[in-house]
Amino acid sequence: MPQHSPPQEQPLDEKLLQRWEARGVSRRDFIKFCATLTATLALPASFIPQIAEAIEDKRLPVIWMEFQGCTGDTEALLRANQPTVAEIVLDLLTLEYHETIMAAAGHQAEEAKSQALEKYKGKYLAVVEGSIPTADGGVYCTVGGDSALNIVRKICGNAAATIAVGNCAAFGGLPAAAPNPTGAISVKDAVPQATVLNLPGCPLNADNLTATIVHFLTFNQLPATDGLGRPLFAYGKRIHDNCERRAHFDAGQYAEAFGDAGHRQGYCLYKLGCKGPETFHNCPTIRYNEGVSWPVMAGHGCIGCAEPGFWDTMSPFYRRLPQVPGFPVEATADKIGVGLVAATAVAFGAHAVGSAFRKGDAMESDKVIKED
Amino acid sequence: MLEIRYVWEWPVRITHWINASSVILLSATGLFIAHPFAIIGVETMAWARLVHIVVAYAFLCSVLFRFYWMLVGNQHASWRAFIPWLTAEGRRNFVKMLRYYTFTGKKISYEVGHNPVAALAYLGIFALFIFQIVSGFALYGQYAPEGFWGGLFVILNPLVSSQYLRLSHHMVMWMLLGFLVNHLYSAWLMDVKERNGTMSGIFSGYRYIEPEDL
Amino acid sequence: MGKRIAVDPITRIEGHLRIEAQIEGGKIVDAWSSSTAFRGIETILKGRDPRDAHHFTQRFCGVCTTVHSMASIRCVEDALKIQIPDNARLIRNLVMAIQNVQDHVIHFYHLHALDWVDITSALKADPAATAKLAQSLSDWPKSSATYFKGVQDRIAAFVGTGRLGPFANAYWGHSAYRLPAEANLMAVAHYLEALEWQKDVIRIHAILGSKNPHPQTFLVGGMSIPVDPDSQNAINADKIAFIGKLLKKAKLFVEKVYIPDLLAVASFYKAWAGIGAGVGNFLCYGDFPMDESGRVESFYLPRGVIMGKDLANVMPMDEAKITEYVTHSWYRYGSGDKVGLHPYDGETAHAYNGPKPPYDFLDTDGKYSWVKAPRYLDQPMEVGPLARMVVAFSSGHAEVQATVKMVLDRLGVGPEALFSTLGRTAARGIETLLLAQKSELWLQQLADNMGRGILAVHNGDKWDPATWPKEARGFGYHEAPRGALGHWIRIESGAIGNFQAVVPSTWNAGPRDAAGQRGPYEEALIGTPVAVSDQPLEILRTIHSFDPCLACAVHVLDGRGTEIVQVKAL
Repeated sequence: MPQHSPPQEQPLDEKLLQRWEARGVSRRDFIKFCATLTATLALPASFIPQIAEAIEDKRLPVIWMEFQGCTGDTEALLRANQPTVAEIVLDLLTLEYHETIMAAAGHQAEEAKSQALEKYKGKYLAVVEGSIPTADGGVYCTVGGDSALNIVRKICGNAAATIAVGNCAAFGGLPAAAPNPTGAISVKDAVPQATVLNLPGCPLNADNLTATIVHFLTFNQLPATDGLGRPLFAYGKRIHDNCERRAHFDAGQYAEAFGDAGHRQGYCLYKLGCKGPETFHNCPTIRYNEGVSWPVMAGHGCIGCAEPGFWDTMSPFYRRLPQVPGFPVEATADKIGVGLVAATAVAFGAHAVGSAFRKGDAMESDKVIKED
Repeated sequence: MLEIRYVWEWPVRITHWINASSVILLSATGLFIAHPFAIIGVETMAWARLVHIVVAYAFLCSVLFRFYWMLVGNQHASWRAFIPWLTAEGRRNFVKMLRYYTFTGKKISYEVGHNPVAALAYLGIFALFIFQIVSGFALYGQYAPEGFWGGLFVILNPLVSSQYLRLSHHMVMWMLLGFLVNHLYSAWLMDVKERNGTMSGIFSGYRYIEPEDL
Repeated sequence: MGKRIAVDPITRIEGHLRIEAQIEGGKIVDAWSSSTAFRGIETILKGRDPRDAHHFTQRFCGVCTTVHSMASIRCVEDALKIQIPDNARLIRNLVMAIQNVQDHVIHFYHLHALDWVDITSALKADPAATAKLAQSLSDWPKSSATYFKGVQDRIAAFVGTGRLGPFANAYWGHSAYRLPAEANLMAVAHYLEALEWQKDVIRIHAILGSKNPHPQTFLVGGMSIPVDPDSQNAINADKIAFIGKLLKKAKLFVEKVYIPDLLAVASFYKAWAGIGAGVGNFLCYGDFPMDESGRVESFYLPRGVIMGKDLANVMPMDEAKITEYVTHSWYRYGSGDKVGLHPYDGETAHAYNGPKPPYDFLDTDGKYSWVKAPRYLDQPMEVGPLARMVVAFSSGHAEVQATVKMVLDRLGVGPEALFSTLGRTAARGIETLLLAQKSELWLQQLADNMGRGILAVHNGDKWDPATWPKEARGFGYHEAPRGALGHWIRIESGAIGNFQAVVPSTWNAGPRDAAGQRGPYEEALIGTPVAVSDQPLEILRTIHSFDPCLACAVHVLDGRGTEIVQVKAL
């Protein structure tokens, strides 16, 4: 009989565990946290000690800036569980500037920012929430009397790396939706020379942010990304391919209306406009709010919030396909398509009638010899 | 004296019929994928997608083979046959044909192969085929961005959102179905009017040509 | 000659707020409230599917997430005359109530407390005395000396690193901080506890709404979260129990930590019961329908208007009496900047003529904010928990009256103390307590419905745009944590013809109107003492008592405007 033994857990440094205990984090919680992070980052278990070291030794200075955002990403951070926001703020990072949670205000707050900028030049992590308006000299968003564009260039330009959290910072998001009244752009477009990692989502999943930060602390570099600057560990797979309802999709079992029997039984939401088949995100695997739920689990289709331009390309959110440009709202792709084929058929039908009554066009058909 | 000529070589006929059946099968399964429903005991969507993908590969091979044959086949199969306006005679015949179709002229240009208006339509159809293959495999490849198709079309993602790719794939299907109506009618019309084996030619390869007419 | 100061950014709020104030003799004699960010979401909404609107509007704000979804959906339902199923009403009540409860607690501990609590002083506290203080306030099981010692050690270790992060550069040691060290330590401990608590209880949103922030189960016509006791993919008995557990946790914390802390802290700051009165006019749309019809008369928190602090006279609210001014806002009206327009007829072309950044001061004689100035019967109105509580109190709401009286008695002040910075903060606590208690009833009713086989969550009769009239218009209300929220929609040929939102912070943070009347923030600041002009802690106290939320307030409304598209991108 082959011996089945549980995978050997790597021992963590005793002193390190004691230091965490002194901060009120139990060993069990700490080890669990490291293991969860390691798994989120898709790393083998042998990395757990390295992760534990990383979050122990280097408190990373962070400057968190919000521009044309809704503070939703900050709120997401407040819901972080592994680690909690208290652990993040007190133990994991030093949050040098964050308008929503910092105690200081006004010019003292701005001073904290410039102090951090000088002291940790080239070493701090910049986190940006919200898009950057560029129209009309940047008047659509100012902080401390200066424009978002000026601030983001200064802060991100001198950072070790920048993380763009949420769809607005990563891709322009809602302010950049057509007709983009304020000329909103993404962080990468605002500071092209900066090293920017995109963590889109509306809002982002805080677990992906903590995993990214720890990856940075552990390996001193940002994680590998896809063509859109999104880390593969969180955006490498489509929602549809990891969806808990995929079996219903394959079986042809669909919720036809909200609240119908199929909907209550957890059938696939494809026909109610779910955008899981075109969205790359790890929602089905990590979920939200400590893994309690995610949109599809709660009976509402995905709206594609991790994709660039999703407000325009993924809407209408309750239809499979986007609006055909230039056609009224009620004209779906299929109505237009059927119309096209029908129009062709009618046109050629008319042509056939015309041809049947056409005489003397000197064609071969006129030369046919009729047999008795 | 009526001649019987071997016009459509076997690769032309084979790829024509593979393409035709592919368009029909791909459209049928594609429409099902867009508007699926359940049949008890059948994994309907899984089957629809399987058929769609397998037929897509057959269609890809067929279109590629037809492109190869454009280089090595006879003059009617050649790529030159699809761009009639290269020669002055081609342009003249194109106008003549267009006038016949629009009831503004009586004479047609007698051709051994495609008439010039039809040739132009086929050029467009091949362009749509390429579009459907690229958009289709790009969408298919999303299940594995690190895989062959995902890697091949990685550049498309930032350029076109996958929803608009999907929308175009869907709309081009309707255009191909529209073409199907047109194609069947035109073939029937010419078969009736020219009596030269337009319809049977694509089965047998032979057409009946009156050399004096050319 | 006094001194002009600018506080920008006002931190610990949502969004971008700037306050400029004129100080003479240690007191504020004039004030200007300005929002410094603008996104133009209503412009973006035009021409889109009305069923999608709530996804867009929810992103007005991530702090008061859910609230704009609620108002948007109600305005579409009002336009299309849709009656939602009873389960949807109960789920919405639960989602809205827990949003209020969680948001108010976060506001008190994480956004407002640091105005009253000096963290650094907590290090000097005696943990045993702190435990004694805490135990005298409530029987919260955590209140032991060991527990407070642990918190103190953690803070000491943190301060010991010399890297204070978000707590750096604050007004620590300011003379206006009045709490004894022990009360400070207790408040800091609860600051950290509330951080844990809020993420726990908001999981109710995850269960009913898929996630928080930005839940995603709202639908025009109901909710998308299925209810079925016989399914593992719906709200079933297990999930009802889970929600029940979290509601209990929410209620316990409010009863045993938040309210006692509020009363304890307030008792040291009674002077603030005479500061920050504001405009004294209150507007409340009312919310939390108690029966299936959803009619206004059934609202748990009643609808009404109070003018000039006259608690004896609650007037009915009529949304037709609302107008918005842009005299001092960076927008332009076709009929001139002196007139006020009703939201249905509103028009907006943004017209920034402020200083070019970077700048020191705004030109407050001209236009100086991205927030419009809404008025009711041409009067500035305060909205929010205080407005809700005074309207309910004056309408004879028994539960509100009892709780308000309890709080006033405990603080030993009269009803006039409600009209103040302290009153605003206390009203928020009173409301939290009532909603935390009421939520359990709604959950029970949902469970009862399930037991009776009532499973509908969505009314799909008008889901298909083909069933809609060619033109329709509707008003959607909601009592968001920060106050009365209204959305107005015009639907034209199945698409959004016009969409407008007048949000709580627009009412409160708005600038002056055509008649030069100050907005509620500005008015409330008048007479506020400022001990140290470059450390204007007192400004933060009054402003934070309103719980500002600026991203919501700044939006562009587009009436019939075509001018809006003239915005040029650089």
